[in-house]
Amino acid sequence: MSTVSSRIEVNEAYLREQFHNCSDIVFRSFQLQDDTKLLLVCFDGMTKLQGVEENVLKPLIFNGLPQGIDRIQSLEEIFGREWLPLTKVKTDVSLKDLTNHILQGSLAILVDGEASALVAQLQGFETRGIQEPRKEATLRGSKEGFVENLRTNTTLIRRRIIHPQLKIESYTVGKYTQTEVILAYIQGLAEEKVLGEVREKLGKIELDGVIDSAYIEEWIENNSFSIFSQIQNTERPDIVTAGLLEGKAAILVNGTPFALILPVTLWSGLQSADDYFERFIFVILTRMIRYIMTFVSFALPALYVALSTFHPEMIPSYLMIGIATARESSPFPTVIEVLIMMFVFDGLQEAGVHLPNQLGPVVSIIGALVIGQAAVEAGIISTPIIIVISLTGIASYTIPRYSATLPFRLIRYLLLFITGVLGFVGFAFGMIFLLIHLVMQESFGTPFLSPVAPFDGKRIKDLFIRYPFWSKNGRTKKGSP
Amino acid sequence: MIRFVLLTCVSLLLVMSASGCTDFIEPNQLAFVLGSAIDHAEDGTIEMSYQIVIPSLQGGPSKGESSGDSAPFFVMSAKGKDVFEATQKIQLKMSRRLLTSHRVLIAISEEFFNKNDASKLFDKLSRDPANNLRDIIIMIKGGSAKEFLMIKHPLEQLSSIAAGKELDINGLKGFSSRELIIDSLSRGIRPLMPIIQIEDKKLSGKKTSPIAALSGFAVLNDRLKVKGLLDNNEGSAAIWMQGKGTFQGVTMPWKNGQGTLSFRLTRLERKLRSAPGNDPGHIVLMVKAQAYLLENTTPLDMSEVKNMLEVQKHINEQIQKDLQLTMDKIRQWGPDVFGIGEFLHRQYPYWWKSQKDDWDEKFKTIDVTVKANVRLRSTGTSGAPLE
Repeated sequence: MSTVSSRIEVNEAYLREQFHNCSDIVFRSFQLQDDTKLLLVCFDGMTKLQGVEENVLKPLIFNGLPQGIDRIQSLEEIFGREWLPLTKVKTDVSLKDLTNHILQGSLAILVDGEASALVAQLQGFETRGIQEPRKEATLRGSKEGFVENLRTNTTLIRRRIIHPQLKIESYTVGKYTQTEVILAYIQGLAEEKVLGEVREKLGKIELDGVIDSAYIEEWIENNSFSIFSQIQNTERPDIVTAGLLEGKAAILVNGTPFALILPVTLWSGLQSADDYFERFIFVILTRMIRYIMTFVSFALPALYVALSTFHPEMIPSYLMIGIATARESSPFPTVIEVLIMMFVFDGLQEAGVHLPNQLGPVVSIIGALVIGQAAVEAGIISTPIIIVISLTGIASYTIPRYSATLPFRLIRYLLLFITGVLGFVGFAFGMIFLLIHLVMQESFGTPFLSPVAPFDGKRIKDLFIRYPFWSKNGRTKKGSP
Repeated sequence: MIRFVLLTCVSLLLVMSASGCTDFIEPNQLAFVLGSAIDHAEDGTIEMSYQIVIPSLQGGPSKGESSGDSAPFFVMSAKGKDVFEATQKIQLKMSRRLLTSHRVLIAISEEFFNKNDASKLFDKLSRDPANNLRDIIIMIKGGSAKEFLMIKHPLEQLSSIAAGKELDINGLKGFSSRELIIDSLSRGIRPLMPIIQIEDKKLSGKKTSPIAALSGFAVLNDRLKVKGLLDNNEGSAAIWMQGKGTFQGVTMPWKNGQGTLSFRLTRLERKLRSAPGNDPGHIVLMVKAQAYLLENTTPLDMSEVKNMLEVQKHINEQIQKDLQLTMDKIRQWGPDVFGIGEFLHRQYPYWWKSQKDDWDEKFKTIDVTVKANVRLRSTGTSGAPLE
């Protein structure tokens, strides 16, 4: 029972059994004027019913078969003579494939006496329109963001790279979801080694379902136990396009607006699309601020604890007396105080993510009044710590990508623990561990800290200072290479 | 592998924190010492005093000025055979650990210098790494050093902060304990030490309160004995010739007593040169500066070039004369605060070998000529004096 039978009743019985208890399946059988039995099968809502009526039913029922022609020999003949006004059709012999196509929203046309079925791709379902990506907003640049529909997403890339070397390979992942996963790259720019590794890993995925590209990410990344993600995710087609042009590969997954880019380095998490849209001199400043703030975001609480409780002689005298004055009546040790505040801050942040929009102000009021003001006035928490924690929080928001902030949030705690026990020695230990981890890490063959370690003079041009575009690939102003 | 590393890290952290194996100390377990005083005590001991900040009385922004009469500091003192013993005695009476790393100033009474060998005092300073060596060392005249620490300053919260700022704002840098130790250990230079005098001054209304103010400099020899005292004017001249000053003000009478001229001198520099003939016994000390005329009570119209040139010539002559006087005065006392010995050491190493012992006596015989090269940069915004 693996191929389509020439008897339409058999086929119908099989399909009815397959789609047993599926209330949204539609079977429509009818006869042509010459008594040829036809059966249309599709899912209600998945197929453009208007298209079915206009393109299939009307020509077949009202016009019948064109006069003067004998009983049709094969389904293919109908389409070979372009009797049905459809663009995407194919014939299927395997019943399994046929079932799959119906599940994906195609219309199956079976004809009595034919051992093949015709599949018309008339999918039509509600999708979200293209909107501005809210999570990765930029001040300048494209306002388009990816949507859930994979085809729309591939067109967003196709429209940006009008070149036949842009390749889009398709894979199907997920036992139940049968999700289409796409590997996009530009042939000639992308490294064949990376592509081979990705293809191999994509083939190995065993999943019941793919809900988001994160599922794919975890299956194919090099080191799942690292706190740093080795694959970048974005919902901006312009970032994907830029990545493809840099020779990276992109993975798009049906059903999610988040595309994956690989390989990446640590720095790509700290770079914003705006860096390439603003004047480069200004970008030097913003990048410096971002890099310093990134350091602040994970090191400041630990540094504060190390300086104020282990090495008070290192703080300028008047500042130290100021800190001592503020901390005069604090009941907890500094480490515990910082830990409490960091915990509360992360709690507030987590609450803010899950809150319905209407309740947002409530949390800010509680956070600002209760934790900020009341805790200080009650003498439980000292003011310098509030300053340190707020600064840390703000610093972590300067990192443009949300998923890039997560490792630093974790490092903040680890560094605080080890510094609280060992002081500056602990801080140094923590930093050394972090650097060792980063240097050992790699993303699909690219060292995670490159171009800094190993040093690459050419690519480092885009790290601290974004050189003007004309100087990037060694081109002169006149445009000749 | 990763699991193993994680496990070791976590268990190490837990073990260390559970056993209390940390040496952190909270700011409210520390007593911040901002000033130390050293006084002479009988039977060969010294008296150490520490000026300690009371953090809760520091005017915080939220608390307002509630302290009223009580000063935001207190002074603890104890006697001991050396600095450490006295400090230890103070520590025993304290609820918090003494932290001397933030000390601004060390005050030593004049009496102490006269009756003790002060050079022994500084062993603790240079040996103990807990000293930051940035603190200023001053000599207290007209009272004990302990008294100086107890004085309340009308503007600053602590007298030691006040004295530190006073030196700083007047361009007198380079009197830290580090410099003092270097100067006293070098063979070809002798230290100069600022003197703070405690005087009763009427500051407001009817109240008279003691106030500490800079009143000159002490010239010390290599055993840190006071050899002579300079007043403020001579002191600034000596500092200029020492090469430590950055700016100073100078007022000089015009020829035949027709009013005075006041200048602000900036970019003070000095240079040592051996006199023509390569004789180590003759040294030329060149001083350079830029002068800005700020007050003119003479009938001169400074918008005229002729007058300007004349004034410039006059400044140079006058300054040369003043500096030479100071130089000769110090030279008679013996200690070479200018570092001429160091210069000669580099210039005539073989000659220096025979001279370095008892340099204080030999310095008296060295002939130092002061040459001034002051340029008048500005005569101010008005030309002729206002009639």
